Amino acid sequence: MRLNFNINSETKELELKTNETLLDVLRNNGYTEVKCGCNEGECGACLVLLDDKPVNSCQVLAMSVRKKEVKTVKGIGTLFSPHIIQRTFAQAGADQCGFCSPGMVIASYNLLRENPNPTYEEIVEGLDGNLCRCTGYVKIIEAVEESAELINGKK
Amino acid sequence: MLPNEIQWYFPSNIKEALKLIKQPGVILHAGGTRILKTQTKSVKGLVDIGGLDLNYIHEKGKSFHIGSAVSFGEIVKFSRETDNLKMLGTALSSAASTPLRNRITIGGSLKDFPLWSNLYAPLIALDAKVNIIGSKKNIIPIEDYVASGTIKTKHIIKEIIVPSDKDLIWGVKRFTLIRFEYPLFNIAVSFKMKNEIIEDARLVITGVRGRFKRFKRAENILNGQKLNKGLIGKCEKFITPKFIADYKYSAGYKENVAKIYFKDLLSEIAGRK
Repeated sequence: MRLNFNINSETKELELKTNETLLDVLRNNGYTEVKCGCNEGECGACLVLLDDKPVNSCQVLAMSVRKKEVKTVKGIGTLFSPHIIQRTFAQAGADQCGFCSPGMVIASYNLLRENPNPTYEEIVEGLDGNLCRCTGYVKIIEAVEESAELINGKK
Repeated sequence: MLPNEIQWYFPSNIKEALKLIKQPGVILHAGGTRILKTQTKSVKGLVDIGGLDLNYIHEKGKSFHIGSAVSFGEIVKFSRETDNLKMLGTALSSAASTPLRNRITIGGSLKDFPLWSNLYAPLIALDAKVNIIGSKKNIIPIEDYVASGTIKTKHIIKEIIVPSDKDLIWGVKRFTLIRFEYPLFNIAVSFKMKNEIIEDARLVITGVRGRFKRFKRAENILNGQKLNKGLIGKCEKFITPKFIADYKYSAGYKENVAKIYFKDLLSEIAGRK
């Protein structure tokens, strides 16, 4: 069946089955910036913002989000117009293999919007649903700290 | 992805939703996390409650009325912004991860009651009640909701009524080896204190045989007394949870750990006062 979804501030008609997750539907319709990692809600690679809240798209049935706003990492910033967080991740070498980066950026974006001056512990808590398979958390946390300083105009 | 294609229903009111779930193989959908985890093949239809007015937290008198579609994340956020609901907020803040807490709803978690639930121990310790539609009795204490078997009937949870914890002494604790893991058990302790004398003590554990247990003999030992090391030692022998052994731990091991956790929690509370 085909159904309208609000994705990255655009209305899109997407093909889906009634038993598919939001992750399946997004990826099958070209939104491959949303990564499929564990498919169990553990790794955070598939994170998207659903009505401005981060959720694991693998744990959301697509039919239930028809009237909600979905934002992928490309809705935050693009290659030619990156968000501060995306730019800082790249400059700090926090993207490493890049697989967890879309989810990490979404989680960081949500954290800094809710708490523009997070402590180290608050950053760790804000990224508690995201796993990095390169295990390079130090650079990721540094990138979030750096992003916070840039967003707050301290740098 | 679920194993079968699903018939979706989007009711506009609770009455309509209740009628729909009486069909075989049709269940409610709130956050959907449990449905995806269990991958039950018998599910033929899902009744989405997203369009019903069940996403609210209202303060009425000395209680909070939490709509069943409120997510754990919203409760944690709310508890951080007020002086109330701290016990529930603290317990739920360690449940799953930030993105999952944005999907897990209080109603869904209450109806499913997984063994690792962080929800039940604080709710029982707080003497919370559940307001359901579809059963003869509408407002039921959480303990009775499980013990009477109402939990297994076809009904819709409208809201959970949680008394304010502002004047309570409380503590919650859970047993996991690492933070990001399902807890083996959750414990919660609450009581009032009048002139340093304990009143209405509640000691609760979940994850045990029968899903939960209140240690009423231990509570009676605490009531009417001052909290101190000697008293904690006296009530400890009446904390006797019964577990089911699993591939990792024997029942006896879990029982001993639970006893230590209760002792530590009561000592920590005594240290605070």
